[in-house]
Amino acid sequence: MLSVIARRLSLSLATLLALAVFIFAATEIMPGDALDVILSSDEIASIPPERLAQMKRDLGLDRPALERLGSFLLNAVQGDFGRTLISKTPVADIIAYPMRNSLALALLVIAIAFPLAILVGIIGACWHRTPTDHVLATATIVGYSIPEFVIGTLLVLGFAVALPWFSATITVDTRAPVLELLKVSALPVATIVIGSVAYLSRILRVGMIEALSADNIERLRMTGVPPWRVVFRHALPSAVIPCLTAMALYAAALVSGLVVVELVFSIPGLGQELVRGVVRREVHVVQAIALACAVIVVTLNLAADLAVLALDPRARSQ
Amino acid sequence: MNSHPRLLLRKPLALIGIGLVLAHLIAALTAPLWIPYDPTALVGAALEPPNEEFLFGTDELGRDFLSRVFMGGRVAILVAFSAGVIAAVGGALIGLSAAYHGGAIDDLVCRLVELKLAIPSILFVSLFVTGFGQSLGVLIAVIAIIKMMGAIRTVRAAGLQLMNLGYVRAAQLRGESASSVIVRELLPNVIDLLLVEFALRSSSALLLVSALSFLGLGLSPPTPDWGLMIHAGLAAIHSEPWLILIPAVCISTLVIGVNFATEGIADAWGLDAARGGAHG
Amino acid sequence: MPGVLMPHAGVLMDNSGHPNGVVIEPADRMAAHSQGSAAAPLLQVRDLTIGYRDAVGQLQIAVDAIDFDLQAGHALGIVGESGSGKSTLARALLGHYRGAGQRIRGEVRIRGDLLNERDPESLRRLRGIDVAFVPQNPLSSLTPHLKVGAQLVEILQTRARLTAAQARTRALELMAQTQLPEPERLFERYPHQLSGGQRQRMVIACALACQPGLLVLDEPTTALDKSTEVQVLGLIRQLRDSMGLGLILVTHDLNVVAQMCDDVLVMQAGHCVEQGRTASVFKKPATPYARTLVDSVLHLGVTRASPHEARLETPLLEVRSLGYRYSSGGWLPWRRVSGTAALQGIDLTLFPGEVVGVIGESGSGKTTLGSVLAGLLNPTEGRLRFKGQSLAGEIQRRSQNQRCSIQMIFQDPLSSLNPRQRVGTAIARPAQVFFGRSKQQAWTQAQMLLEELGLNAEYLQRFPRQLSGGQQQRVAIARALAAEPELIICDEFTSALDATVQSQVIERLISIQKRRDLALLVITHDLGVVWRMAQRVIVLKDGLIHEQGRTDEVFARPRSDYTQLLLASATSASRALQSPTTTDSTTPTFLP
Repeated sequence: MLSVIARRLSLSLATLLALAVFIFAATEIMPGDALDVILSSDEIASIPPERLAQMKRDLGLDRPALERLGSFLLNAVQGDFGRTLISKTPVADIIAYPMRNSLALALLVIAIAFPLAILVGIIGACWHRTPTDHVLATATIVGYSIPEFVIGTLLVLGFAVALPWFSATITVDTRAPVLELLKVSALPVATIVIGSVAYLSRILRVGMIEALSADNIERLRMTGVPPWRVVFRHALPSAVIPCLTAMALYAAALVSGLVVVELVFSIPGLGQELVRGVVRREVHVVQAIALACAVIVVTLNLAADLAVLALDPRARSQ
Repeated sequence: MNSHPRLLLRKPLALIGIGLVLAHLIAALTAPLWIPYDPTALVGAALEPPNEEFLFGTDELGRDFLSRVFMGGRVAILVAFSAGVIAAVGGALIGLSAAYHGGAIDDLVCRLVELKLAIPSILFVSLFVTGFGQSLGVLIAVIAIIKMMGAIRTVRAAGLQLMNLGYVRAAQLRGESASSVIVRELLPNVIDLLLVEFALRSSSALLLVSALSFLGLGLSPPTPDWGLMIHAGLAAIHSEPWLILIPAVCISTLVIGVNFATEGIADAWGLDAARGGAHG
Repeated sequence: MPGVLMPHAGVLMDNSGHPNGVVIEPADRMAAHSQGSAAAPLLQVRDLTIGYRDAVGQLQIAVDAIDFDLQAGHALGIVGESGSGKSTLARALLGHYRGAGQRIRGEVRIRGDLLNERDPESLRRLRGIDVAFVPQNPLSSLTPHLKVGAQLVEILQTRARLTAAQARTRALELMAQTQLPEPERLFERYPHQLSGGQRQRMVIACALACQPGLLVLDEPTTALDKSTEVQVLGLIRQLRDSMGLGLILVTHDLNVVAQMCDDVLVMQAGHCVEQGRTASVFKKPATPYARTLVDSVLHLGVTRASPHEARLETPLLEVRSLGYRYSSGGWLPWRRVSGTAALQGIDLTLFPGEVVGVIGESGSGKTTLGSVLAGLLNPTEGRLRFKGQSLAGEIQRRSQNQRCSIQMIFQDPLSSLNPRQRVGTAIARPAQVFFGRSKQQAWTQAQMLLEELGLNAEYLQRFPRQLSGGQQQRVAIARALAAEPELIICDEFTSALDATVQSQVIERLISIQKRRDLALLVITHDLGVVWRMAQRVIVLKDGLIHEQGRTDEVFARPRSDYTQLLLASATSASRALQSPTTTDSTTPTFLP
């Protein structure tokens, strides 16, 4: 068992490393370098070559790629993501609070969406082929078909404009306490929860239907064991186990969705910083945010793997 | 694999879906023929509510909203369609190759796919747009790569099942080359799966393109695009809600239509579409 | 030991008392209407018809007008091939229907009480109490993430209303009763940690937990290997005698029926084709279908393969010290050698024109052997020689000549043909690939081959799904012949075919083999096929050869214990009919 955990852990670290290398490489293979960002092409033409070379050395652009990769990784582990190109502010300072805010929102969404998705999935599976299931199936297709930013804007239209129950944008300061942010985030959280539940419940429903038609469930039914016991004690764990990995993979999509929704509601999170970074071609900011997301996704995947180990005795002896 | 066209007729959802998709395609294809105004021309006062002259009113710059809305799907549909085709075809070839060769090649493909799936789509696009710019070509290429991952997984899984079957083994025993086995034996037997994958990836690509446009990372003004329109309309949400509602309904009905249709078709053909989903 | 054919007294036998004084709560048990009445049957089935609506809404009948009675303490065997409806019938005896199935008409009575027309709750209450079910596959029938002891206790707590402590005691008793070793230790194990036989005993213990009067078993030993099968069948017989159970045993294996059942009911395509006392049906089957089934089991050795005259030629195929290990971890070289061995130290020689049978159960390595010889798997040890020349393991490294000389026929005829290709394309392909013939020539040859296999030219244009199983297999044989081979490896080529079709395909293959002087390697678990076709036989178990030699000698005087066991199982029907009191004799005599 311990060897299995150790193997999963090392696999996660390897994945994280590979992702970090990829993130670095992606920004490296792009045409041009940091100087092209800061200076316009006219300016570059007018500056004497030795000064240009000096500026490159200051920015560390003259070192070989592998060396830069090495220092990128080393610095990242210590929390140093470099400085912005324009204003020379440490990137870590820029993204610290927005990252905290986004993480808080993400955790709140997961805490609400996962149990809800399981519930909806169970209902759909147990009432399979009945009108209830058809309605739920249709509703979930609609739920994951409508883009998240559309759901967000529709919710704003409905519950902030037509019925002024909530505010259309979040006006909480970036560095304000997390709880204050969460208190006014009902609409953004609802937006992502709707999309997540629609998508995840379908996976669970399929898994549950498969689990319910398995041989052990049939035998239990023919032994007269009470139906709810059969569903929750025997079928549900079998159904959830393969879904856990799918759910962990969904984490990446969750982060994407979060970015979009943050922009709809002007939430001071990673989304805003990301778009700002892309628009201004702030490579270090984009790299840092990408790394942060990679860490979140890899952690969630590891958590799912460990949960599978806890639930499935067969996995422990691999 | 049974195809029961009759089965489809018994599924109202699938028929609604097909109807929606056809309506959108016809509207998008024929729009230039009958829209009243040039979608990029300033023809009236800004932010006019719907009236006789401008059936959908005007947008924040004074352009006819009706014309913009009906032209708004064209580029996005084109991008999504192209990305979907590339994703499906590429996914099929890579997925089947991985299934055929097994071993190290299969491992490598699986690891790469897992790695890629760990990166949120928006981020992935951001990384590339930062460097390569926002041209249509770059957009199609990046979205195609993102959506290909899901297709690779699904086709690979189907391919692995096929590899155990007698006729594939018989072909291998004839010493037929890898490409011969993949093209003659495997590919024809995943065609229906591939069609479903294409539909799913296209609808997913459409969602991505709209989201990217909304964020400012996708299509750029003055191209009429529903995502861009919603972004612009956010500022005026209190006073001119139709500027958001109409494009929102357009995107939603198109994607819902594709997904209803795909779900119905996959069901009728006995394929499992639920795992593919919108994301991935 | 009461034999199969001795009638039991049809008295409702009381359940024996429990030494520890734990009493099963009879509250849910159906009232015994005829206490002590000798005549009332335990189970009565009248005109039972079950059907379902398919995807386009048409009614399909799975079980058609079945009638039978079962007395307490008796056993009825329901025999049929896959698709006969026997499993549907078995489940209907508990009021359970798979998928969209439903009872169309007819009735089922247990101890006189009607099973049908009950609401789900009252139906649930009698399951496990009055009638219990033992399914086929014990691994998938037990919940994988719960300990086996906990699963048994759950049944005792929810159905017999025992307290936790009482349930645990009773559970351990039941496990001892079903001959499980060290019940205390096994109690804490998970299903995947038990052997197949232990799991099935566990499932039987779960079924008997509340002491039902009627036990329905669906292929209870099909998933077990032969030695375990013998033990489990013995256990079932013992439990039946000690508890006075009525047994319904659903199986495709007539040998099991002969050992276990007083009466038999033969089903085909949902209909009851024949029913009666086991002895009568076996000795004098009234219908052709029953006769075919009985013949394949009883008359092992009606017509024999002619012994092969020793031809002093170079062997066609030589196998020396062949071994194959599964690689356990990826492609890292030091991980690969540590896998489980599927084959070890295999030596065999095949001469031109000879038919050799390879007998083994699932897991014996027989399929691996076929795959290695064909070139689909690369052996990890050993050498292969074909016609005196070295034969590479992988198909890619074999010469063109070697590739076309060794052909293969697979078990499932439908999946051995590409569903998107016409029959003609499939048969023509080898000629085009191996001999460079044009499409025209190849199709002409394909037509001739089809005719040789008894199918006329119009089949060339058909798709595989338009053919029956037997026809598909004949197409597969034609395709193999198109390569003009010298050796054909037949991997369980009759196992997926109906009994009536099996002998036809076997006869055709034999005549083709004689006409073309082909060598055949017939891999199968079915001794009848080997007896019919093979001049020599090899017995494989756990990747090792247990015995090999001339077929008639091995069958008459088997030297290894395992071969004796296999022969005993396969001939138990004949022996049961000859001498009712020696159903489990340890020294089988082979009857010609």
